[in-house]
Amino acid sequence: MGLIHGLTAPLQYEFMVKALVLSGLVGVVCGVLSCYLTLKGWALLGDAVAHSVTPGVVLAYVLHIPLAVGAFVFGVGSVLIIGWIQSQTRLKEDTVIGLVFTGLFALGLVLISKTPSNVDFLHILFGNLLGIATPDMIQTVGIGCLTLVVVFVLKNDLLLFCFDPTHARSIGIDITRLYYILLTLVSLTIVVALQAVGIILVVAMLITPGATAYLLTDRFDRMLMLAMLCGLGAAVLGTYLSYYWDAATGGCIVLMQTLWFLLAMGLAPKYGVGRRV
Amino acid sequence: MPHPMSVELENVTVTYQEKVALHGVNLSLKSGSIVGLLGMNGSGKSTLFKTIMGFIRPRIGRVQIEGLPISVAQKRGLVAYLPQTEQVDWQFPVSVYDVVMMGRYGYMNVLRLPRPVDRRMVQESLQRVEMWALRNRPIGELSGGQKKRAFLARALAQQAKILLLDEPFNGVDVKTERAIIQLLMELRNLGQTILVSSHDLVSISTFCDQVIFINQTILAYGATAEVFTPENLTRTFGGILPPLPWRGDV
Ligand SMILES: Nc1ncnc2c1ncn2[C@@H]1O[C@H](COP(=O)(O)OP(=O)(O)OP(=O)(O)O)[C@@H](O)[C@H]1O
Ligand SMILES: [Mg+2]
Repeated sequence: MGLIHGLTAPLQYEFMVKALVLSGLVGVVCGVLSCYLTLKGWALLGDAVAHSVTPGVVLAYVLHIPLAVGAFVFGVGSVLIIGWIQSQTRLKEDTVIGLVFTGLFALGLVLISKTPSNVDFLHILFGNLLGIATPDMIQTVGIGCLTLVVVFVLKNDLLLFCFDPTHARSIGIDITRLYYILLTLVSLTIVVALQAVGIILVVAMLITPGATAYLLTDRFDRMLMLAMLCGLGAAVLGTYLSYYWDAATGGCIVLMQTLWFLLAMGLAPKYGVGRRV
Repeated sequence: MPHPMSVELENVTVTYQEKVALHGVNLSLKSGSIVGLLGMNGSGKSTLFKTIMGFIRPRIGRVQIEGLPISVAQKRGLVAYLPQTEQVDWQFPVSVYDVVMMGRYGYMNVLRLPRPVDRRMVQESLQRVEMWALRNRPIGELSGGQKKRAFLARALAQQAKILLLDEPFNGVDVKTERAIIQLLMELRNLGQTILVSSHDLVSISTFCDQVIFINQTILAYGATAEVFTPENLTRTFGGILPPLPWRGDV
């Protein structure tokens, strides 16, 4: 079987075309956001938001409202709760993050176990790229594109917010607003990525491309491009792998991400482990 | 209507938790002057800068910039601030040029796309602090003094009417310091207001039009020739007259 045939043959199935388009989009959106998360040091926060959306998704399902709405409310809500607990106690941030997201995730698991037809929810935990329904797909593409547009419009403001919030304030930029915008973008991205890789692996999509690109360049614009390429490449190749091996799609995509990272770590000219060899 | 003062503080008191850092501070700086801020470690110099910038809210009193509340003045790009120590992530993938360009964001539209005038200003500012040759370096790969100069260039690129410089010469070599002082005097002649703190008493006394002596409150404030006296220096620096190549016959 030739390589070309290997890549084109699966395209005769509608489900594969949908899966490739969706995973590619997810890869790109997550790649872009991951640059800000790695630079801002929000990896743990991203993981927390990802887990915290679980009860929101279950409740939205039960109440027949869009899953994205439930996920969004609980995603942003979890960060507000984290901020509030921190302001009321003497606990450190990572402790509070750990407390809040495990609590909400546990609530999600309990709700799943008490809801009839809980098969659907396994898809939320592990992703269901190859079986996605068309309405979900339209919703996901819509949110993904919206997120991309907002990030590209605010690209430099968000960069300044991560790099030097003091300066941002001193030239009259509202950093509280930027904080909530970035947080909202992270929540929306998680909603998008859920479909592809599931809650448990979402954080990999939100960290690994940025971390890989960070090892390869000293320029932010290049970092963005590289992270997008890593995300896209991993998503598309991972989807093919999962088709041919009949293996978990989310797992295959994240494995490809990890592979890119290991390659970058080994081969990066300036920041790789082999740089002086 | 009389033109409002550049920077005006009325009866300002600042506390950290319950500890008083500044009390009863009254100041009015008029435009077109360089004002030196002198005081011991912990006397409240940086606190005064942060209060003017609105990063710390005074417990009592009021701060105005050109007759406006600070948040409005910042939106209009009236103030540029160089902190004593930058709280930035030095591992960030941005070049010296990118950092100085951040000083121009206030002039750009929402996409923050640099126009030719922005590039020209960035180049000019970098040349004035002699950092143009290092413009493509990642910001973390500079020496301490070079970092200070890069951020000074950013403050200059803002073309703000009011420049607040907290120890801008700290760690900067003599040659660059001279060049920067020269530049500050040119800006002053163009009508900008400059507030600068320093521990270098000699140099402050040579280029500042006015000096402020501070120790939790204003001990003396006025034209350099009048207030830069051994009495005020001794009072400010805890009973010790700092060694000075004393001018004239005081
Ligand atoms: N974040 C803070 N929390 C509590 N106290 C503070 C804080 N920052 C400064 N202080 C205290 O306020 C006082 C004034 O500090 P400030 O930084 O304004 O001094 P300074 O004049 O700038 O000193 P230096 O010459 O060392 O820069 C000091 O006693 C300091 O210990
Ligand atoms: Mg200080």
